Amino acid sequence: MNLSFFDQFASPSLMGIPLILLSLLFPALLLPTPNNRWLTNRLSTLQSWLFLLFTKQLMLPLNKNGHKWSIILTSLMTLLLMINLLGLLPYTFTPTTQLSMNMALAFPLWLATLLTGLRNQPSMSLGHLLPEGTPTPLIPALILIETTSLLIRPLALGVRLTANLTAGHLLIQLISTATIALLPIMPTVSILTMSILLLLTILEVAVAMIQAYVFVLLLSLYLQENI
Amino acid sequence: VLHSARPLHTTQQSLAPLPPLPEKGGEVRYGLIPEEFFQFLYPKTGVTGPYMLGTGLLLYLLSKEIYVINHETVAAACILSVIIYGVKKYGADVAAFADKLNEEKVAKALAVKNEAIKGLETAIEQEKKEQWRVEGRNYLFDAKRNNIAMLLEANYRERLLTVYNEVKKRLDYQVAMQNLKRQKEQDHMIQWVEKSVVQSITPQQQKESIAKCILDLKALSKSAQAAV
Repeated sequence: MNLSFFDQFASPSLMGIPLILLSLLFPALLLPTPNNRWLTNRLSTLQSWLFLLFTKQLMLPLNKNGHKWSIILTSLMTLLLMINLLGLLPYTFTPTTQLSMNMALAFPLWLATLLTGLRNQPSMSLGHLLPEGTPTPLIPALILIETTSLLIRPLALGVRLTANLTAGHLLIQLISTATIALLPIMPTVSILTMSILLLLTILEVAVAMIQAYVFVLLLSLYLQENI
Repeated sequence: VLHSARPLHTTQQSLAPLPPLPEKGGEVRYGLIPEEFFQFLYPKTGVTGPYMLGTGLLLYLLSKEIYVINHETVAAACILSVIIYGVKKYGADVAAFADKLNEEKVAKALAVKNEAIKGLETAIEQEKKEQWRVEGRNYLFDAKRNNIAMLLEANYRERLLTVYNEVKKRLDYQVAMQNLKRQKEQDHMIQWVEKSVVQSITPQQQKESIAKCILDLKALSKSAQAAV
């Protein structure tokens, strides 16, 4: 089948049945379920070790109330990581390239942190709007600026993930198209382009993991301020 | 440690006579195709059978354009080479790390068991020592008994001495009283005798004795010369 550049971002459907839910749930099939064995196989051992390490690292700066968020943040990280990494395979659909999905993840979580802060310790949360040690004449302007930056956070979270992944996928498509198109004309340049593509693929693997981590890290940061 | 990879208490049935699970998973060739497939085709087509099948299938898909070569192909080639490189280079290390994690878990449990055993062995030795000590308790009792007997004896003798001293004091008192009485009687008698003698010296006797003394003195003065 012939593909245009944006077919990979179209929501997948098979004969009219939307497959988006399947593509969101599929990564869960690849992770081994923890069972009640004491000594598990290598994959399960590595998985539980990794989750423990990540959760411990994420929950270090949070107080006891913040530990309630450990499950949602770790599972969010795992979901984003698996989705991003699976999207690098050919002919796959990456749900995190859709702005709708990322906003649906970022906006409620950010709002939850904001409302938790405003509800439990309103003066502390509002106090974060003014950094310490600002000169007095600057205060009104700074409050406005900080409020803007606070309100733009969910947008930034969602758009950051979307833009990074979409841009990476598009670049892969473009450079591979250039490789294929140059192959009959100038094979040497095609080989060069192929090597660029190799480096780009390594970059994309890194970006996939980093973006997932950054998403969750920023959420935990917003949580730290407000809980 | 053979039975440590079995699920525990999943049903009410006892799992005791089940054999342990195999140590390794199924053998796979090229990371994708199980060995059983090659063994399945071996009787009919020999060793090259599966490879011919694979090549034929691939060429069929390509020539009939069931699989179209487009930009995704080269992207697939890149990502697959990255994955295969990663697995080949770091696979053994990751597997060793996972095995090490499991080993540490088992080692911790074994350490607990060994320490419990060691603690119990120390307890056994101490108990044996206590039993040996019990055998010598007779000597302990004899020594204590002797001690107490000596204390009692010493106490008795002290009290005996006290009694003796008291009795002697009373007897000495009596003796001293008698001595005193005799002394007083003696003195009194001497005094009385002296008094009566002095009283009995009449004046005439006094003159006679004085005259006698003077005569004696004169006699003596004649015989004695003055020493110069």
